[in-house]
Amino acid sequence: MDDQGCPRCKTTKYRNPSLKLMVNVCGHTLCENCVEMLFVRGSGNCVQCDTPLRKSNFRVQLFEDPTVDKEVEIRKKVLKIYNKREFDFSSLREYNDYLEQVEDIVYNLTNNIDVENTKLRMEQYQRENRDLIQRNKATLTREQEQLEELLLLEQQGNEKRRLEALQEEQRQLQAKRKNKQALLDDLEQSQLPATILLAQHKVRAAQLETQIEQQKQAVKPTNLFSTGIHMRQTVSLLPVAKIEEVLYDYKPLHVETYGPPVPELQQLGRLGYLNHVRAAMLQDTAGGYTSALACHRAVQDAFSGLFPPKG
Amino acid sequence: MFHNSSQRKYWIFASEDELEHMRYKANQKFRNKILESGKAGLSESMFLERHEEDVLFRHYERRLIDFCSAFKPAMPKSVVGTAIMYLRRFYLNNSIMEYHPRIIMLTCAYLSCKVDEFNVSSTQFVGNLLQETPAGQERVLEQILEYELLLIQQLNFHLVVHNPYRPMEGLLIDLKTRYPTLDNPESLRKNADDFLTQTAMTDAGLLFPPSQIALTAVLNSSSRAGLNMESYLTECLGLREDKETLSKMYDSMRRMKTLLKKYEIPKPEEVNVYKQRLERIHAEFASSNNKRKRGYEEDGHVAKEPRMAEEEWTDEDLI
Repeated sequence: MDDQGCPRCKTTKYRNPSLKLMVNVCGHTLCENCVEMLFVRGSGNCVQCDTPLRKSNFRVQLFEDPTVDKEVEIRKKVLKIYNKREFDFSSLREYNDYLEQVEDIVYNLTNNIDVENTKLRMEQYQRENRDLIQRNKATLTREQEQLEELLLLEQQGNEKRRLEALQEEQRQLQAKRKNKQALLDDLEQSQLPATILLAQHKVRAAQLETQIEQQKQAVKPTNLFSTGIHMRQTVSLLPVAKIEEVLYDYKPLHVETYGPPVPELQQLGRLGYLNHVRAAMLQDTAGGYTSALACHRAVQDAFSGLFPPKG
Repeated sequence: MFHNSSQRKYWIFASEDELEHMRYKANQKFRNKILESGKAGLSESMFLERHEEDVLFRHYERRLIDFCSAFKPAMPKSVVGTAIMYLRRFYLNNSIMEYHPRIIMLTCAYLSCKVDEFNVSSTQFVGNLLQETPAGQERVLEQILEYELLLIQQLNFHLVVHNPYRPMEGLLIDLKTRYPTLDNPESLRKNADDFLTQTAMTDAGLLFPPSQIALTAVLNSSSRAGLNMESYLTECLGLREDKETLSKMYDSMRRMKTLLKKYEIPKPEEVNVYKQRLERIHAEFASSNNKRKRGYEEDGHVAKEPRMAEEEWTDEDLI
């Protein structure tokens, strides 16, 4: 089932769990044992494509697809030469074109397309840009060094803190042990009754505990929050100024209808209006309809704007 | 409610003169537009005079009412009233020489069906053009849709129209409830209905609130039946103390009745003469119209083919 296996000796991961597959620049796999056997003298040809290979160039296969490994290898090599960075270009467009070019080269080399020409192109580029490449390499290494330095510093800091914490713990343990020992000694030598001694011990133990606690809390006299904000920064804790609002005073809505007053919807029935309209049918009422609604609307319409405007 | 509607705010005018002035301006605007375009062989006599326009307008209004009353399924009165009101509002600011009333009236009816929740599909709507072939109906429909946006724009997007029909129902209910002096308010209904139908064909809707029109209809009907209903106004509507309002109301009612009396049915021979001139004007100046329509198409409002045979159908096909 596991088809990852050495093409030469046909060993698979299933049969030999410790099988290590290796890849060289041509992108063909071989298992570690075969590599040892075939490349005893340090160099030889690939079993599958006859490319001359060196034993030192074999790498452990990291990806399931060996061509990916090959690509990674090639990319590393290409980027060593094509190491320009964005600020070496006047515009983003040019930089993008350059990146595109690099991708083309990597693709060609990986898939064996036009290898000769591509290699020529690379060499030509290398010759033309030798100075720049060297310079960029130097800056890159410098940057790399700075980064590593930073990492180192951080690591050291971590280590130091860890050691301090360890020492602290040990000191506490020691103190506790000493306390216990003192109790035993007291019980052995003192004239006082055991209960009093026990009580004294308890008090001392409690004191010790609180001391430890205090120490723990006092460990970091930092003035920075974890978010990077300074602790001393004063945050105003004054209450927000209270705004006095005038309470809302409800006034009933007055609509000018330019006509005689219309009876309220609820009073239509009492005033006898509903005796003169068609009663709502049962199926009409399902949707919330009542005959009063239609009646009210008709009367409203009859009176709305009935009187000519004054003046 | 009418009292805070756009109708009360923007579409109730002070006097008949104001309406006439607006129509006169629309007429002048069209004339000037054509004269300024500087076409050869133009003469003032080509255009329709205001009173001639009026005759044609009344003719087409009647056609609209005929179309609506023959409509299947039967159209509610308020839909017809809204359609007529749209037509009147539209030609307040536009000359019939600019937009042909034949298509505008159908567009008004179509729009009012939608606004008044009288649900007919567009194909069902043009299906009522009985004289048209299905292909012809399709063409008319396209035209309606083309003019619909223009109509809405010219109505200034004030689409709700308050008709006097519901106020009249309300008045009858109120009469039955609060005015037992009147024996049988239902007997007033027939004449009042006729009154409303007639007022719909006048400018009353542009001059008076619908409730006043309804009240006038009821009072008119009662006086015809030889009943005096003044006590209703003074007692039930609380106008006993308010002589000023009362006299103003009587004044409005008188004006409404004069409007009705002044209405003349357009004479067929006049209509025919003016119609020919209208057709000629539209044939002559159709180019400006087409330009506008093509503008619509460019905007993507109407994605149909430009119609070649716009003038194919005549109003005789309508009924």
